[in-house]
Amino acid sequence: MSTTRKRVYGYLAEFENPSALYKAAEKVREAGFRKWDCYSPFPVHGLDAAMGLKRSVLPFFVFVGGVIGCLTAFALAYSTQVLIYPTIVHAKPANIFTIPAFFPVMFELTILFAGITVLFGALALMQLPRLNHPLFASRQFHRVTDDGFFIAIEARDPKFSPTETRELLATIGGTSIELVEEEDN
Amino acid sequence: MANHVTSAEIAVNGDHLDTSAVAKVKTVSLAIAAAGSLISLLTFFGAFGEFFRGTYSYSWLFAFFFFLTLSMGGAFWMLLHNVSNAGWGTSVRRTFENLAATYPWMMIFAIPLLFPSIQEYLYEWMNQHRAISGSVAGIGAKDALYASPDPYDHLLYVKYWYMNLPFWYGRVLFYFVALPLVIIGLRRLSTAQDTDPNPGVNRLLRARFHSTYTLIIFALTITFTGYDFILGLDYVWFSTMWGVYIFAGSALNAMAVIILVCTWLIHRGHLKHVTHAEHFHIMGKLLFAFTVFWAYIAFSQFFLIWYANITEATSYFLIRNTGHWNTANIVLVVGHFVIPFIVLLQAWIKKNPKYLSAVAAYTLVMHVLDHYIITIPERGISLGLIKPEVFGDIQVSIPHAFWGDILAFVTIGAAFLFFLLRAIGQHSLYPNRDPRILESANLSN
Repeated sequence: MSTTRKRVYGYLAEFENPSALYKAAEKVREAGFRKWDCYSPFPVHGLDAAMGLKRSVLPFFVFVGGVIGCLTAFALAYSTQVLIYPTIVHAKPANIFTIPAFFPVMFELTILFAGITVLFGALALMQLPRLNHPLFASRQFHRVTDDGFFIAIEARDPKFSPTETRELLATIGGTSIELVEEEDN
Repeated sequence: MANHVTSAEIAVNGDHLDTSAVAKVKTVSLAIAAAGSLISLLTFFGAFGEFFRGTYSYSWLFAFFFFLTLSMGGAFWMLLHNVSNAGWGTSVRRTFENLAATYPWMMIFAIPLLFPSIQEYLYEWMNQHRAISGSVAGIGAKDALYASPDPYDHLLYVKYWYMNLPFWYGRVLFYFVALPLVIIGLRRLSTAQDTDPNPGVNRLLRARFHSTYTLIIFALTITFTGYDFILGLDYVWFSTMWGVYIFAGSALNAMAVIILVCTWLIHRGHLKHVTHAEHFHIMGKLLFAFTVFWAYIAFSQFFLIWYANITEATSYFLIRNTGHWNTANIVLVVGHFVIPFIVLLQAWIKKNPKYLSAVAAYTLVMHVLDHYIITIPERGISLGLIKPEVFGDIQVSIPHAFWGDILAFVTIGAAFLFFLLRAIGQHSLYPNRDPRILESANLSN
């Protein structure tokens, strides 16, 4: 028999369909929970608003990434083509007015840096990659990639209560309510 | 998500503009347009002398083409909305159609450009054609151009298949007839739905079908009006990107006008329940997309010419990078692209009709500058070449010709406003019996 201690992750409740999930999400938000999330096999339109999610900070990172990309390209092209080794083509000037020649590179690096910021910024904000998630301990949760719609309320939420949270999930239409426990090591 | 809109909140008999409320504006704009047209006619008939007739021809072309791009852009959004089977914009589609409905009226202002006495100041190639045909007995203009020792005449000979007077007039006839038929037909199809007691999907499908091939008519019209009216000012220069450059500015600024009209209508208490922040967000995104597209096309055109450095190709930018035109061009780069790009990146600005309208109005101002730089720098060069005794030698800009630009702009602008308000007042402000109106009203993006 195993002697590992277990830690309560939270309650997991299943909902019938996206509409039920949407309405339940509004109720959970109104109840004032902070540490909770919806799980669905596909994106549900307007669910982020129903959950009361704030706008992601990612766009600001991407803007900064794009600006850095643009400036990097300009600095690179200007320093090499104008300052260090002026390149005269077709008798065109090698000064700041050469800038049209740099535009394609500036454009490309803006996109590249912005794109890289999107990818790694999104991964960082989602705390990915990770090896495991406590919800994977649930037997029913694998259906979230097929036809299951779930809401999980975490135990570390200050409003969490072993009895009342369960009742709340039941009253808003949750079925198969399960207390998910992760192994603590 | 906002409250769910149901069919109970859709006006059964349509949402009509109270025409008496705008009657005053319409009367005033019509009066300005009529008075301006009268002065313009007198100018064109030479009542104020040849100097004013010559310089005013350019003013007229600038103002006419500026407002024509707005109308043509309206036709583009209408056709695109139909052909892409879009559901988001059904509640603002009528505004696209109303803007497009000004096109047949705006083409009236092309009429002065059909007369040789005006063309002689604008289109040198026509002067060459007219001078040379009949100069040698027994041969036509084409052969006479071939026989001429002038190297520029050889250029005109090579371009004769496109640049000849009968074909030019034929094309202009096409602009007068084809796109107006498309616009009137599709708009009628749309407005007939408003009063149909049994509105089905029939008209929707028909509009979608008829928008496919008519999109080609639109493309031909916007491309070749650009070539025939504007690019023809300098027959030596050519750019294969010209048509798409005109289109980019046209689609962008038609969307700016649409945003302004929709904001105005909402301010007056119309489009209730059906048009809200989500629609403005999408229209703002389109405004943003076409700001980038315009910059992409404008820069690509400049870049290829700048890089290749071929004499006959660079003339356009040489003229426009001389003197104050260079300053104006740099203002255009920053003002038409960089500033709106940064401003429109932000979602909250696009979702707020008032802020978005401010950006749209600003975009229109930049479009005026864009078209001013397109048309007017040619004036000092061409008129100096054609009649230096009247207009002076070739110069960067002709002094005092600026006042004519304002007069022409106000005249045609007042007419544009009148015909736009007239179109807005004619029918319901949104297609209230369209099968997609609820989908559009409950838009979320």
